[in-house]
Amino acid sequence: MFSVSHKTAFVVDHCPYMAESCRQLIECDMLTKSRSQGVIPLAPVSKSLWTCAIECSMEYCRILFDVYPTWKLVNYIVSDSEVHILNSWKQEDQNTHELMAALAAVGPPNPRQDPECCSVLHGLVAAVESLCKITEYQHESRTTLMDTADRVANRGRIICLTNAKSDTHVRMLEDCVLETIQEQNKRAAGSDRLMPIQQCELVLVHIYPQGEETLVSDRQKKELSSMLSSEVHSVRAGRYLASKLNVLVQQHFDLASTTITNIPMKPTLNVFEQEEQHANTSANYDVELLHHRDAHMEFIKSGDLHMAGSTSRDSGLKETVTLKWCTPRTNSVELHYCTGAYRISPVDVNSRPSSCLTNFLLNGRSVLLEQPRKSGSKVISHMLSSHGGEIFLHVLNSTRSTLEDPPSISEGCGGRVTDYRITDFGEFMRENRLTPFPDSMIDAAGRTPVERAKSQLERYTRYWPMIISQTTIFNMQAVVPLANLIVKDTLTDEDVLTCQKTVYNLVDMERKSDPLPISTVGSRGKGPKRDEQYRIMWNELETLVKAHVGTSERHQRVLECISACRSKPPEEEERKKRGRKREDKEDKTEKNGKDTEEKGWTTDSERLKGVMEREKDEQSECEIIKDSPDSPEPLNKKPRLATEEQQPPEKSKGPVSLLTLWTNRITQANSRKHQEFAGRLSSVNNKAELYQHLKEENGMDVHENGKATR
Amino acid sequence: MPTVVLLDSSLSMTRPVSVEGSEEFQRKNLAVHGMTMLFEHMATNYRLEFTSLVAFSSLWELLVPFSRDYNTLQEALNNLEDYDKTCLEAALQGVSNVVQQEWGTSCPCQVVLVTDGALGIGRGSLRHSLQTVKQRVDDKKFPLPFPFPSKLYVMCIANAEELQATDSMDNLEQLINLNGGEGQIYTMEGPLCLKSVQSMFGKLIDQAYSPFHAVLRCGNLTSDVQVFPRPEPVTIDEEVDPIPKTVQTDLEIVGFIEIGDISSPPVLSRHLVLPIAVSKEGDEIGTGATDDTEEETSTNQMAGKSPNFCVLLHGSLKVEGMVALVQLGPDWFGMLYSQADSKKKSNLMMSLFDPGSEPLPWLGRMSQLGPASDAAENPYGEDDSKSPFPIQPKHKRSYAQNVTVWIKASGLQTDVQKILRNAKKLPEKTQTFYKELNRLRKAALAFGFWELLKSVAELLERECTLLPDSAHPDAAFQLSHAAQQLKLASSGDSKYAAFEQNITPMLTDFSGGGGADRI
Repeated sequence: MFSVSHKTAFVVDHCPYMAESCRQLIECDMLTKSRSQGVIPLAPVSKSLWTCAIECSMEYCRILFDVYPTWKLVNYIVSDSEVHILNSWKQEDQNTHELMAALAAVGPPNPRQDPECCSVLHGLVAAVESLCKITEYQHESRTTLMDTADRVANRGRIICLTNAKSDTHVRMLEDCVLETIQEQNKRAAGSDRLMPIQQCELVLVHIYPQGEETLVSDRQKKELSSMLSSEVHSVRAGRYLASKLNVLVQQHFDLASTTITNIPMKPTLNVFEQEEQHANTSANYDVELLHHRDAHMEFIKSGDLHMAGSTSRDSGLKETVTLKWCTPRTNSVELHYCTGAYRISPVDVNSRPSSCLTNFLLNGRSVLLEQPRKSGSKVISHMLSSHGGEIFLHVLNSTRSTLEDPPSISEGCGGRVTDYRITDFGEFMRENRLTPFPDSMIDAAGRTPVERAKSQLERYTRYWPMIISQTTIFNMQAVVPLANLIVKDTLTDEDVLTCQKTVYNLVDMERKSDPLPISTVGSRGKGPKRDEQYRIMWNELETLVKAHVGTSERHQRVLECISACRSKPPEEEERKKRGRKREDKEDKTEKNGKDTEEKGWTTDSERLKGVMEREKDEQSECEIIKDSPDSPEPLNKKPRLATEEQQPPEKSKGPVSLLTLWTNRITQANSRKHQEFAGRLSSVNNKAELYQHLKEENGMDVHENGKATR
Repeated sequence: MPTVVLLDSSLSMTRPVSVEGSEEFQRKNLAVHGMTMLFEHMATNYRLEFTSLVAFSSLWELLVPFSRDYNTLQEALNNLEDYDKTCLEAALQGVSNVVQQEWGTSCPCQVVLVTDGALGIGRGSLRHSLQTVKQRVDDKKFPLPFPFPSKLYVMCIANAEELQATDSMDNLEQLINLNGGEGQIYTMEGPLCLKSVQSMFGKLIDQAYSPFHAVLRCGNLTSDVQVFPRPEPVTIDEEVDPIPKTVQTDLEIVGFIEIGDISSPPVLSRHLVLPIAVSKEGDEIGTGATDDTEEETSTNQMAGKSPNFCVLLHGSLKVEGMVALVQLGPDWFGMLYSQADSKKKSNLMMSLFDPGSEPLPWLGRMSQLGPASDAAENPYGEDDSKSPFPIQPKHKRSYAQNVTVWIKASGLQTDVQKILRNAKKLPEKTQTFYKELNRLRKAALAFGFWELLKSVAELLERECTLLPDSAHPDAAFQLSHAAQQLKLASSGDSKYAAFEQNITPMLTDFSGGGGADRI
């Protein structure tokens, strides 16, 4: 984490001799065909050593910031008769725009300045001082590590771009850096904001104009002390310097190069403006990208690097891996098995092929990359994709998976259950999608957003039956408003009102005896009687609301509303009494349920389900047993046959006689053989009212009569 | 994590061990006994593991390629032959090849070397290999460390004293060190007998093949699961935080994200999440129990019929095209999703992200992800048309911001040409002309390239003189204005050479409102 590449100090010489021309001429007055003859072209321009040094170091920084927007920091220092420190280690200072602005303020070296008082030494001293300064990242790590803060190391690199006089001059610069490190380390030992330098790499780049003999010889990396190593590069200005710094940035930051080949320029992909000078170029382009070396790990390890790659066209020195563009066919969203994703930076950022590729990616398309192989098989090994304006090279797994041919989920636990509430849980997932919050977003209880997300999930799942046949209320459109609101952390008065309205609506439904979507899985009939259905529904609704009653006083009010409303209509005197008894029992059950904590609702709903099923199965069973929470659920249920609404009215009044049982059975068997009369279907106690429409016309409420007492 | 069992079939393995009682055992018999136990364990509790069997002496042979068919493996054990001397280096090279051919170099593997600890003599012996390990040329490198992540377990059909009497123990330790310390040596305790070989392999099973059981949780909805292959501890930074992080057995879902938003994230490893039924005694009725006893079958059927949260979650993730973000430990997250294989079977899969607070730049800090319903405005839009992801970085990357690079002459020439081309189309192209002009000006100022500013100024002046008679009168004004401004900037005078300042089009009688807007 805190390797040498954590901190890079650039020291660029701003002394008068850097104003010298690099003696590479650039023709910028390109005559075009339309120009009239006889015009004398302007003299070509040439960059100064300073301009060369700046643009190459900026290119170094550009690549660095593209590939490592964080953690790898640059401190840019310019040195003449004094030191100009252009930025700090702060993350917000790490971008080329800021540096360019600061460089513009410094301007080119003044050739008339007194060379005697100018030196790159000032800059080197400042660089060492700067390396001792603690970065935000070091500070943060030290603070979090506490006792083991000494694990945070302080290392760094100084890249010095200068024009040295001789090898002796170079040695003098090295000695000076070494001395300063020793000096500064002593100072740093006693300070909180400073850290002694443990390791420093000095990279001296001597720049000299084209056509001149170099006065400084190249030297490999050499340990000057346990803390300092130094290397010297003697480079001609201009493009030589540019390719040297390109090689250095790759070495310093473990970068590797990939060349995307065969990029087509079909009209659909072509984002270029058509321009004259590129009219006769070939249809397929290559683009070279830099990225972290690990994106090639598979090649490096398997020794395929040489096979897969070819040498870069620009410099014969460095290697690049060639990967072939695969034109994306669909825009479908797929989850690839990706083992790494690395930011990229194009080598030639504003060339046409590069910007064509990057714009294509920035517009949201992904491109799969194929590994050229000698054998015929096509292997997709990488993918280019952008996320939030940053392009990443994804490494895709291209070898055999160890997880192939796993047992299907339908073969495992719960795999045979077919009525999962898949759609409802999908809705639940949408409601529980995540979103980023600003760093300071901590709520009143001091919870981070992710903790709030967890607590929301806890609330939303307090009562959440997994299968359709386990629930009634979640199959009812009418309950939706209440179910959506009750899980919330806070309710407004308006919310409570909505919940109450939902409850009133249910009461109304019950009064009208509207059918409920009670699960009839495995049976062709309607399941339990209507009033029993409502009882189950109300119980379930209460279970849901009770799970949230502790959240706030308003939640409590919703429960109160339900308890008040579900009391039975006065004409059902007898039933009401019986209901009381039952509710008492339920209260007890609920208490028991609470003992088993959150599992309470499961047993409760399980019991409800049991009730329903038993009712369907064994109509002979009496109420008392039916309501007992202890009665075991029958294990091996026979395939359920149609259970019609033939429940005898006597059923609720006690044990059933053998005759009734027999009659029921016969009727049931018979009923399967013919379609039921419409009248019998809507009958009450086997009595169907005739000429109902007449009553309706007379303005009488049918339902009142339909709900006859039993 | 596939396993290679590398079995020593040299003659020394046939040495008899003295056991009280009538039957005489060879070391080989003990080894086979131990391996049988290992295979039986895997067949019941670790059924999805791919295992291969390699036998070696002076040569090596792949007896069973990677397979989940433990009967075949067991059969191969029963038909072992005895060969000549031990030559471990060639065998390790063989293992390396076998693994790479099958799984490549990124898949972690476990190598179980079963040997009697007699590691050969002379050329080809481990001692000889280790002595020459530093004098190898590139194509004859010692096979360790393996190119793939690996653990090397050495099962010695010998006790520690025996191995320490020779340099065998030292050599084996050196072998583990060569593999980056990844691995362990097991020796037998007490007399060489079936019991001690069982206890030795028992230790290996506990160490390397114990199934990872966890509870998957989404609020109050839970399911007992086995995670396969079991997640291994991870060290992020040896220097700053050397303590390996382990996945906790409570896997807590924190929320959900669309597949498009999570967008093929890089992962450390992938694991199947298999729901398991835990009976009252706490025994697991395995996802792959092979025993066909009636009791188990009926329990399995019951487990199949009772609703399981994993199945619900899997179904909804698949239908909705979403993933569930799951917390694996402090500052460590992963994702759950539905993964379909070629045979249309699908499964609940879990991928682990890199440990840390921000494993995916496009999601931002994990701890800052909260419920969308807490946001003042629905970040997904009322009609699901928007998304809060990906997070935009503070600064644009160079390829997204039209940077100026003049390292190649062509870069500079193109930029100058762009200006000239627009200059010819003045006043229609006034906006673009000044935009390009200012881009060039900024770069030239930053690079200290004042000579270029002068040169371009001259070019514009000449362009002015070359204007045809039909040219719009505004063109001449704009060209000379631009040239003059560039000249002023090239003086370095801070009044005219400020970086953030732009040259604005000259307001002329001809330009009206249109061309004179600030750029």
